[in-house]
Amino acid sequence: MQNSKVHYWFVAPALILMFILLILPVLVAATLSMTDYSLGNSSFNWIGIENYEKLFSRKSYAKMFSASLTYVLIVVPISVALGLGSALLISSLKFGNELYKAIFFLPVMATLLAMAIVWEFALNPIMGVVNDILRSGCDKKFIYGLLSGAWYGADPLQSWFGSSCEDRFPIWLGDKKYALGTIAFIGIWQGFGFNMVLYLAGLTSVPRELYQAAHMDGADSAWERFKLVTWPMLGPTHVFVITISSIRSFQVFDTVEALTEGGPSKSTYVMVYAMFEKGVRQNLLGMGSAITIVFLAFVLILTLIQVYFVNRRVHY
Amino acid sequence: MAGITLQSVTKAYGSQSVLNDVNLDIADGEFLTLVGPSGCGKSTTLRIIAGLEKQSTGDVFIDGNIVNETRPSQRDLAMVFQSYALYPHLTVHQNLLTPLKLRDLSALERVPLFGHLMPERRKKMSAISSEVQKVAEILKIEPLLDRKPGQLSGGQRQRVALGRAMVRNPAAFLMDEPLSNLDASLRVHMRAELSELHRELKATFIYVTHDQAEALTMSDRIAVMMDGDLLQLGPPDEVYENPNDIRVAEFIGSPKMNILPATCDEKGVISCLGQKIKVALKNIKNQSVSIGIRPEHLILQSPSKASFTGKLTYKENLGSDVFLHLDIGLTDQKVVIRTEPQESNSSKIGETVSFGANQNKYLVFNENGKRIDTAREGKV
Repeated sequence: MQNSKVHYWFVAPALILMFILLILPVLVAATLSMTDYSLGNSSFNWIGIENYEKLFSRKSYAKMFSASLTYVLIVVPISVALGLGSALLISSLKFGNELYKAIFFLPVMATLLAMAIVWEFALNPIMGVVNDILRSGCDKKFIYGLLSGAWYGADPLQSWFGSSCEDRFPIWLGDKKYALGTIAFIGIWQGFGFNMVLYLAGLTSVPRELYQAAHMDGADSAWERFKLVTWPMLGPTHVFVITISSIRSFQVFDTVEALTEGGPSKSTYVMVYAMFEKGVRQNLLGMGSAITIVFLAFVLILTLIQVYFVNRRVHY
Repeated sequence: MAGITLQSVTKAYGSQSVLNDVNLDIADGEFLTLVGPSGCGKSTTLRIIAGLEKQSTGDVFIDGNIVNETRPSQRDLAMVFQSYALYPHLTVHQNLLTPLKLRDLSALERVPLFGHLMPERRKKMSAISSEVQKVAEILKIEPLLDRKPGQLSGGQRQRVALGRAMVRNPAAFLMDEPLSNLDASLRVHMRAELSELHRELKATFIYVTHDQAEALTMSDRIAVMMDGDLLQLGPPDEVYENPNDIRVAEFIGSPKMNILPATCDEKGVISCLGQKIKVALKNIKNQSVSIGIRPEHLILQSPSKASFTGKLTYKENLGSDVFLHLDIGLTDQKVVIRTEPQESNSSKIGETVSFGANQNKYLVFNENGKRIDTAREGKV
């Protein structure tokens, strides 16, 4: 037994597959990121860390990092909060919760690319339903007063709604002030149902006796019980939901590709779109690989943070 | 300290009735046990007293005041749960603080950081802390105060759960099977500790268990519940000696009471397994009845004197006692006799054993399982 090498044969298939499918591509990308290789070229030059230098010095890449981070910082908190809120509301329902679950989960299941096209129509500045609805509010005194702030005495023309009524409503996807926010809105709309399902699963694992103990101890309001029992007991779920949401937000691509193509003036130039543009559209595989490696580093950091929290903090 | 009264309390979930007209009067400082098999409604009764569930009809009084509409926290009761229900993210110390903080600090004073600015907070917190310290001393859990519940053993968690109930100094303690998650020897040990604690605190204890031994050993009075009915309420001795229902007779006592089918002829004479039994009955004639007799009231006798015989199928040796299981020719019924170890040494499995009974100890139940008054004893 001691000298038998048979155990290597047993683990070899798994190891080889893991190496070919998971590790090798990363190594290839890392190697390519040091070159100026383009698809179809028969040779390439080693250029060292030149790609990375560009990545961290050029203005367009600064815009890329800023777009990705802004997107993550908008989408993650809101989609997590909405997911938790809707899960709490749904779990408190006596009936109808299956229906609500299905409705909120629909965008998660739908093909994002198809949905993006629908949003493109809805957000069209001239014939889109969004601006139609907003415009129709301008003639209704009550709605105009409410949205323009006139009800508490503010000057309606100073407000966003009031001035838009005078002038025009935004070109949601074509205006660099709004484009990233609009993309983020679609991301939230699409993603929070997934967080809701995770939170619903987390909520079912909170022992009911803890709520009863909280009742007996004097936590009379729902808010007290939420603070004392629900929030801390959802600890592992929080970590998982936040990590998954962050990684998914870093990976945003289809909406950008379908709706803005990174514009206007690179305001929605997120990392995965940049990878696609450099590596595929412009056939600059070296640059695309460098972005990929940086992207992987981000995701790795997020994952390490999650592992840390899971191990240290949230399991009792 | 307070007495608790239940008046015609019923509970139904839809058409499913769980409690039928329960009346219960618990005296101040009493240790009352609700005992019964699972699903008998004992936990529901406790939760109705606690206010965690609302009765369908009937009233609950605490200390003479009707509390039907009172929130659980306002009833001045504390509860110990079967799973202990400690807050797993808080240390033992924080667990013990929680009920006091929620009671004594205002909502503003509980706000993190900001609450520390409130003028009264420091004084209140030091009062609370000394309260917690006192309870920790009584329960000997001081070394555990900085640990989290996940780092404690079952018995330690049990103590912390008791401590969390004690810190508020409540009018009554409600305990829902608090010992059933402990191992056997610790359970026996905690029984004694709980009794002692009850004597020290002089508070009302309402204790729910499915273990008749816990009920017999700790209580001032036992309430036996079955299928949503309160069958019998009385001190342990009385419930054991004089069960008023065949279900109580079978449930209380281990091993179970022997129940044998018998008939009563037109003269009121009872015969069981072909033997006449000398029990005089009032006004009972011509019906089939059941005879109950406890294992300790059956005695091994020489074949000439004995009334019954049976084939020995199993000897259950507990060291101090040996229980003999006898096949007496009934398909679904064995008879169990308690003997002294030396008494039953000679009996071998498969042999025929002769036995008789202490005639005074027969209990007679009618077809519906209700106890029939026997003339000799005069009372039930």
